[in-house]
Amino acid sequence: MRLSAIPEGAAIALDAIRANKLRSGLTILGIVIGVSTVMAMASIVQGIRGQIFETLEIVGPTTFRVLRFFSTTPLNPDALPREVRIRPVLSPEDAEAMQDLPEINYSAIWVGLFERLAYDRTRTQLLVVYGADPRFMEVLGGDIIEGRTFTPTEARAGTPVVVLEREAADRLFGRENSMGKVIRVGGRPFRIVGIYREPDNIFQPPGQDIAAIVPFRAAERNFRYDETNSLVILVKPRTGISVDVAMDAATLELRRIRKLKPGDPNTFDMITSDQILGLFNRLTGVFFLVMIVLSSVALMVGGIGVMAIMMVSVTQRTREIGVRKAMGATRREILWQFLVEAATLTLLGGALGITLGLGAGEVLKNVMGFTTGVPIWSAVTATAVSIAIGLIFGLLPASRASKLDPVEALRYE
Amino acid sequence: MTDTIIEVRNLTREYQMGAELVRALRGVDMSIYRNEYVAIMGPSGSGKSTLMNMIGCLDTPTEGEYWLNGLEVSTMGDDALARVRNREIGFVFQTFNLLPRASALHNVELPLIYAGVSGRTRREHASGALSRVGLSDRVDHRPNELSGGQRQRVAIARALVNEPSILLADEPTGNLDSTTSEEIMTVFEELHAQGQTIIMVTHEADIAAHAHRVITLRDGRVHSDTKKAA
Ligand SMILES: Nc1ncnc2c1ncn2[C@@H]1O[C@H](COP(=O)(O)OP(=O)(O)O)[C@@H](O)[C@H]1O
Ligand SMILES: [Mg+2]
Repeated sequence: MRLSAIPEGAAIALDAIRANKLRSGLTILGIVIGVSTVMAMASIVQGIRGQIFETLEIVGPTTFRVLRFFSTTPLNPDALPREVRIRPVLSPEDAEAMQDLPEINYSAIWVGLFERLAYDRTRTQLLVVYGADPRFMEVLGGDIIEGRTFTPTEARAGTPVVVLEREAADRLFGRENSMGKVIRVGGRPFRIVGIYREPDNIFQPPGQDIAAIVPFRAAERNFRYDETNSLVILVKPRTGISVDVAMDAATLELRRIRKLKPGDPNTFDMITSDQILGLFNRLTGVFFLVMIVLSSVALMVGGIGVMAIMMVSVTQRTREIGVRKAMGATRREILWQFLVEAATLTLLGGALGITLGLGAGEVLKNVMGFTTGVPIWSAVTATAVSIAIGLIFGLLPASRASKLDPVEALRYE
Repeated sequence: MTDTIIEVRNLTREYQMGAELVRALRGVDMSIYRNEYVAIMGPSGSGKSTLMNMIGCLDTPTEGEYWLNGLEVSTMGDDALARVRNREIGFVFQTFNLLPRASALHNVELPLIYAGVSGRTRREHASGALSRVGLSDRVDHRPNELSGGQRQRVAIARALVNEPSILLADEPTGNLDSTTSEEIMTVFEELHAQGQTIIMVTHEADIAAHAHRVITLRDGRVHSDTKKAA
């Protein structure tokens, strides 16, 4: 096989595609759909994954969470199973007890809430409000750009003070100074003591920007929330202490203050960042598998379309094949010509699919409010798969073309 | 000066049509020498095209021997035959058989592609062949932008571009009017004068008259073989 047959084949293919735009377009539609689906999904999953990584990075890969009960889906608070009900609700005392351990650097109880913020006549939609401790930045990242975080005294007393996120402050006050003003959080008055700026890449579920942070005790006093799903204790080991050692110490301490006897099961769950990532990987793995199966079907359909169109093309160009053979083309060269033609067709479909898929992924990522790079491996794979589909489904028509008898082919009308 | 290019012995070609055996060639013997200009004549169905396909290595005989430039072609496989066609044979067809969407130049480049000639050399050779047939001003034209005579001249340029041992033409003027036919015959004469060996099938006596030797077939056998006095 001479290398010159590849550009020749590709040129013939592009020419044939130009000659039959509609037919070619319909033919590669399946390929375009299959490839673009996978690309969009890959780019979204990659995006979310990147965000999770970064978040875990900010929180620190060593930070672990204590939960009343760990479940992949939120539990219905009105119908908790017995195994959950027998477990005590997480309390600030639990967090404080762990904070006192020599292995632990940070331990605090957080509550996640959805509340409306209001000032004067301006009112926001439901936004994320955390009830946390004054050192919340050690977990969330970001910084205070104006005023201060709340004091340990305010935290202990549950004083109704709030650190407002910059964007939420802009929304409520515009250019007006907000420091010291009293806003309503979920209808309750809170005084603004500081403005907080989120780090650029914090992972947020769609539309769930952090809007405000209040002392945990203040949240406990002012709001109703679900005590199983909303409460979490975030624990960071001291530098030099491994997660395992810190978790063992935290477990012993919690068992001690909950007066569990040896042999009693734990009445809480502890999960690490690795476990969260592992869980995410399992979920997206299933998701990916489904997408790959679905897009394989699209690719198969596309491949069969390519095969059909190549069959038609071979028949229509029987005379051309005869001429080429008369001019000295070997079977192999004819085979390659049509394989290259089929692969050019599918590669074009693949390229279109990649562009479309990445575009869709980009749009979705923007809508969902996060940014990450293009997953190169998926573009490379999609390109390779497109070419492979062309070669596989082009094989039958191409071999038919290559086996044509030159005399018969030249006589074909 | 009697340099043999083609040596055919007892060449036989049979086609099985269902239960019937069609005997297109029934043992043809002939020799063709360098720089001969041969016309093959005969009534329709006498086996002219079958013989041309055999000589052009597009088909292989059922029986008999075919020697081309001292090589026995009748026993060669597909790939070897393709190489022989590429190097030794230039075809000119009745219906031109140009690629409709390709320019004159690209059509002429075709045999060079399969000879593995690439890039500039290929284009140079192809445009050289086109100017040999007087078409240097039509290189970028597509077949449908050319007259019948011009198309056939592109086909002749394509047949010549690899400098083949033989130019094979099966009814080259069959689709052309008499004026254009004469034009093509002039091109053939010029090529012959330059040393090209030409074998041409025709059933028109005035076309055959241009050749220097006329072989007549009848029922798959050589009926007569006459050389013009030089
Ligand atoms: N592929 C084929 N199958 C069956 N018979 C054929 C085939 N090709 C040619 N023939 C027969 O062989 C004979 C010679 O054909 P051909 O060489 O085309 O004649 P010519 O070119 O002199 O008109 C005819 O009887 C024709 O019907
Ligand atoms: Mg004929």
